[in-house]
Amino acid sequence: MSTTTKPASTPVKKDTRLIDGLNLVLADSYALMALTHLAHWNVEGEDFFPLHKAFQEQYEELFEAVDEIAERVRAIDGYAMGGLGTFARAAQMEEFKAPLPQKDYVAALIVAHEKVVDDAVRTRDQAGEVSDLQTQDLMIKRLQFHEKTLWMLKSYLKH
Amino acid sequence: MSPNANSQYCPPSVGDDCAPARCRGRCALDVIDELLAAGGTISGEELDRLLDLRSQLRRAEDAEAVLKIFCELRIRMERKHYLAFFRIRRWLENHLVAAVRICPAAEPVFVPVELSHYCVEAIRRVCLCAALRNGPLLAPRLRFAFASAVISSPAEAEMVAR
Repeated sequence: MSTTTKPASTPVKKDTRLIDGLNLVLADSYALMALTHLAHWNVEGEDFFPLHKAFQEQYEELFEAVDEIAERVRAIDGYAMGGLGTFARAAQMEEFKAPLPQKDYVAALIVAHEKVVDDAVRTRDQAGEVSDLQTQDLMIKRLQFHEKTLWMLKSYLKH
Repeated sequence: MSPNANSQYCPPSVGDDCAPARCRGRCALDVIDELLAAGGTISGEELDRLLDLRSQLRRAEDAEAVLKIFCELRIRMERKHYLAFFRIRRWLENHLVAAVRICPAAEPVFVPVELSHYCVEAIRRVCLCAALRNGPLLAPRLRFAFASAVISSPAEAEMVAR
């Protein structure tokens, strides 16, 4: 009778495609965090208080997320991408400049969240293909945040 | 070059492949199609003008007409369809340029088109002011154009880069 315990999931081998996917979601999240911070600082007008507060909650969540994503890259034997220029080049997010109308901040952030969703879905599916359930779970968690935020931002724009 | 309604991304602009980052993979034509499918929230007249805008964008020949119809529709529909008009607006800003000549015989200077105003004449004035920063305007002429039709060199593309 065996005395060893079978691992809960198959050990993950170094998968460069998955590492690249995670690094892209990392870059996206960092870029989105910077854009959300910019919106938080510069939004003005009659909805200043709710938008200022909502943007703060969003960038704080993203700040925790980038650490989690980067540590997952390390856990699967990769190296995390870093540096503002590198993040910006990888994420290719369209930057906006202040001042903007309130609704334009919201619309621009919707477009940026959609970019993260696209990349996170691709990475989630790649993780599923190689049975890396932890990475898949992390991407699902990220998608839940971005989809919920999209719902909230889009609701704000509804007439 | 006509926008391809079937492609995931926008047609080439300013000499390079249109990167998803610039248009988010949401071509203006796709957004118009979504608006057309929205049905009940759009009047018959708005539907007609949306079809006109779609047709002009497909042909990609008359940027003046595109801007005129876009501004007209934006005033009427943006309140109810803000995100859709934001997407179309950003697409147009990434794909149109204003060709400004300081006098009729001069070579054109290309400046980016910023759609922060709701009428074509105001947009034209903003573009003229942007061009004025580069030198005196004697008898200026301004023509809106699709970037893919008038920008041929990387240097010109750099000139209109935001």
